[in-house]
Amino acid sequence: MLELKELEVAYGEVQAIWGIDLEVPEGKIITLVGSNGAGKSTTLRTISGLLTPMRGSITFLGEEIGGKKPHEIVARGIAHIPEARQLWPDMTVYENLELGAYSNHARAHRDKTIQWVFELFPRLAERRHQKAGTLSGGEQQMCAIGRGLMARPRLLMLDEPSLGLAPMLVEDVFRIVREINSEGVTILLVEQNIVNALSTADWAYVMETGKIIMEGPGRELLDDPHIRGAYLGV
Amino acid sequence: MTDLLSVTVSGLLLAGLYATMSYGLTMIYGVMKIINLSQAGTFMLAAYVAFTLFTYLGLDPMLSLVIIVPAFFLFGMLLQRLFVSRVPLANTPTLPSLLLLFGIWLVLQNLAYMIWTGDDRSILTSYTYSTINFLGLQLSFTRVMVFLIGLLALFALQAFLTRTYTGKAIRALTQNRPACMLVGIDVDRIAMLAFGIGVAFDALAGTLMSLLYAFTPAFGNTFMLKAFVIIVLGGLQNYYGVAIGALVLALVESWAVMFMPASLQPAIAYTLLVIVLVLMPRGITGLLEGRRTV
Repeated sequence: MLELKELEVAYGEVQAIWGIDLEVPEGKIITLVGSNGAGKSTTLRTISGLLTPMRGSITFLGEEIGGKKPHEIVARGIAHIPEARQLWPDMTVYENLELGAYSNHARAHRDKTIQWVFELFPRLAERRHQKAGTLSGGEQQMCAIGRGLMARPRLLMLDEPSLGLAPMLVEDVFRIVREINSEGVTILLVEQNIVNALSTADWAYVMETGKIIMEGPGRELLDDPHIRGAYLGV
Repeated sequence: MTDLLSVTVSGLLLAGLYATMSYGLTMIYGVMKIINLSQAGTFMLAAYVAFTLFTYLGLDPMLSLVIIVPAFFLFGMLLQRLFVSRVPLANTPTLPSLLLLFGIWLVLQNLAYMIWTGDDRSILTSYTYSTINFLGLQLSFTRVMVFLIGLLALFALQAFLTRTYTGKAIRALTQNRPACMLVGIDVDRIAMLAFGIGVAFDALAGTLMSLLYAFTPAFGNTFMLKAFVIIVLGGLQNYYGVAIGALVLALVESWAVMFMPASLQPAIAYTLLVIVLVLMPRGITGLLEGRRTV
């Protein structure tokens, strides 16, 4: 569904991604793990068009999307839920969700999608008229995921959805991700919470300093000595 | 007592105009984080267009709004597309954006000198000196109309910003730009629309001013500075805050007339600005708001 080939990305003069190859097959949960600064968020930001690739290609459903504008990419069915939520704090939960369905194809199904989001997150339904800035951290994450779903994506990219959440809520987030996937949405998940990410994913990529150093089925990587040593501290 | 009442009422009427002339500035600041220094040029140009339509076609300035406002909406979008969109965006106003907009103001001013010369102009309508009686007060008909038109425009803007997708996108862009890009909002298009709407509002305010004040091509800068004070009072990008800021400035100015020479009136806005910047840098609304995260 999504394929990155020899992708290289730079912030101005500073190169952050050094030729990565990555594939996301339809219907799967793929995770991209690694430590802080490895280039995971940069990868997502390039796929969603916030950054322009320096070299290499990004194809989605057979079409080259590298260098297209973010709104063109959303319209093709990729939603990106950024790190740290990035809600509109002075707008209500309902307005945040509504704007999630901004592109034409999503707007037509807005009311139906919002029902689905409220079923996934009953808390959001209760707080629909509350300003997003007044929600708790966990609720804000739900609102951010809900907003991403409003775009009716075929591929949902989540950047550190469990960051800063209490352990109980972290479990919730991963359960929700699996639930969304079971509805037919392909998932590309970026995480620092490696244990949860690897046990959720069908296939995992490990990134270090802008390169992919390892890939394999999530559960197998959990037993890999390098992963255990470098990330799990055992 | 009647004095206080009449001064307060005229302050309220003035607040309508003040709010109208500040919304354009706050919208453009909110969406693009630039201070539209060319605003005074739009006030002036709209006043001259109203003057020309009135003098040569006999079109009443209040009626000419239906031509002037859409025309300046297009003019604003053109300015944005041609010039403003080329300035790199930042989180605070940058020197290039200030220089660009200041330059546009100078060009507009000199264009006006060429077309209309530097002579004082004013618009004298059949109702310029009429008054209406309200609760025993004699109120200028023009000022009441200016207030009502301003109020109507503010309600229209409010409805647009809260009910339409484009309006909501403008508010969203004010609050978080990357998030807008990620949900598929064409941010360049919204910025262009917002600039157009801002300039249209400035033109509305300028046309209304042409009914109240005499003008030359240099007209407008004191009003622009007042609009700046008002949006700082209001917290820069908060529409309710701007309405409150306009009310505060208009009332303080009106009341001050009762105990200080009118020649000192222009100093009030700047004194207020200094007080606000020192004591409440987030504006009046900043004080009213609680702590919040995100």
